[in-house]
Amino acid sequence: MQGKLGGLMSINRATCIKILLIVVASVVTGLGASQLWHHRHYKTPVVLGPGVTRVGSLSEYCPSLRGTLADALVFYLEGGEEGGVALLLGNSHPNEPAGFLASLVYIENAVVKKGTVIVIPFLNRSASCYTRPGDGYPLFFSIATPWGERIFRMGNREASPLDQWPDPDVYVHYPEGQLLSFVDARNINRAWPGRPDGLLMERVAYAVMELIRKRKVDVVIDFHEAETLYPVTNCIVAPEKSARIATLTALWIKPKEGFDCHVEPSPVGFRGLSHREIGDYSDAFPFLLEAPIPFLDQPTGPKTEELLLTGKDPFLLRLARRGRLFVPYDEDGWSIDRRVGQHLSVSLEILNQFSKVFPSKSISVVNVPKYADLIRFGLGSYLSDPATLPPDCVVYQ
Amino acid sequence: MRLSVVLVSAVSVFFLLPGQELPRAEFPVLTTSAGQSNDVVVLNILCEEAGVLYDYCDVPTVELIAAGVGLGGAQPGPGFHVEVHTDTKLYPIGTPYKTLLVAIGASLKGMGASGLTVETEIARLKAVLSYAKEQGILVVGFHIGGQTARGAPGSENELMIDTVAPYVDVLVVTKDSNFDDRFTKLAEERKIPLVIVDYAVDVIPVLKALFGLQ
Repeated sequence: MQGKLGGLMSINRATCIKILLIVVASVVTGLGASQLWHHRHYKTPVVLGPGVTRVGSLSEYCPSLRGTLADALVFYLEGGEEGGVALLLGNSHPNEPAGFLASLVYIENAVVKKGTVIVIPFLNRSASCYTRPGDGYPLFFSIATPWGERIFRMGNREASPLDQWPDPDVYVHYPEGQLLSFVDARNINRAWPGRPDGLLMERVAYAVMELIRKRKVDVVIDFHEAETLYPVTNCIVAPEKSARIATLTALWIKPKEGFDCHVEPSPVGFRGLSHREIGDYSDAFPFLLEAPIPFLDQPTGPKTEELLLTGKDPFLLRLARRGRLFVPYDEDGWSIDRRVGQHLSVSLEILNQFSKVFPSKSISVVNVPKYADLIRFGLGSYLSDPATLPPDCVVYQ
Repeated sequence: MRLSVVLVSAVSVFFLLPGQELPRAEFPVLTTSAGQSNDVVVLNILCEEAGVLYDYCDVPTVELIAAGVGLGGAQPGPGFHVEVHTDTKLYPIGTPYKTLLVAIGASLKGMGASGLTVETEIARLKAVLSYAKEQGILVVGFHIGGQTARGAPGSENELMIDTVAPYVDVLVVTKDSNFDDRFTKLAEERKIPLVIVDYAVDVIPVLKALFGLQ
């Protein structure tokens, strides 16, 4: 009897430990899962500024995107006078948030006097709903404003495998046939010019190409950020057809705005990138802007929200003192105000130079802050409070 | 260093060392690169903005320069760029070049694309610039890439400056490029005019002044 009881007790002890472990694992998994679920389903508000005349979606140009998490909002800012058409792309890589924020500043502030500006702030919407937990990315970040904090979701470089799966062993670019890394199958900036019946990212790229062709877009500006340890940073990447406008922009930026920006040629042999394929497969002039983002460099401290927003890191500072970085770097870091300000000033100057070269297609935009404004007043000064506005003035993505 | 203001236009100011004057450059013009960096593309755009019509070849040989306007009908190819923008009504095909504008700046990628090494680029430049001097062609050197287009002594960028400096009749540089007074010393040693501009866009009025265009 005692033996039986002892056996039962030892079974119970073992079972108890197992149950306890299952409960602990479930709680940990559940907590993590609930955070990721909240992250994926968080709705980012976008305030419709005074210049927005219509809000559409990418599925208008590729119907198979309808109902998927890749169907992104398209904001149209149409001027009273006819002119050229510019398309601004944010969140090609949602882990480079200055581009998304710059496109948001356009939507919430810009007034187009001549021509049309079209903005897609969540180009890779699936990637904006995904994160990189293994790298300890923050799930959200907030921008201080005069009325409080505005919260945004931090995304990833590639689309979520929940939306595009499985990955191929090797990603074969369409239509050039170049072999690329398997993970780039979920990278929108390797999917251009896309196709209507391809992978999800190829369909997103195809939808934008259709928009470019149908709306006769003249200028495409794709906002990005790049590491300070990477030579293609703080620059405009442009193919041959855009080189003159890009060079004139870079030449005028320093005397006008006080910061450096150089031109990098778009390689002919590297396929799938916006600055290459949009130019080759449409009449538009493409430009890809890179602002320096210390957060994405590898030899940094923890990937915190503070590092993302201030760009201050002691390890990068030591490397900068040894001349290892490709941009000037000091104790001031490279703040989100500075990065968004650079994108705004460079994009406005591209539109200005395009308008000079093609006066009959000129594009005139007012009320967009520039680099100096963001340094002086901060990015938050140009973001509206969605809570105080009527529901029809705010859309969510 | 004491500088004298040479020209004040509505938009910009540039400086020459005391007692120096800009020579008058004449057409036809050939633009080229010393070191195959992207700065020659910038120089070409600055020429266009200034209204200076030019022929361009990134890696011209003595034979191509000797062929005059039109560069002997040379056609562009991989790593070899040719553009002919000279007004051939005023300066027919074959007219000898009178001015050579050289953008100084090294790019290993650019040299590699043209099948050059640092050594072969230096040898090519010496041959071309010697020929230009023999023919009485005015050679104007431009360094507009700023501090990033400079380097330690013996580096590619400095070797290009060392190679071009003995042949130039005028140097035009940005303030950033001359951060260590390297070009000031070169100009003083060679007793040639040195034009210093704040920004690369300020080269436009310099080109207008050089070619007498207003």
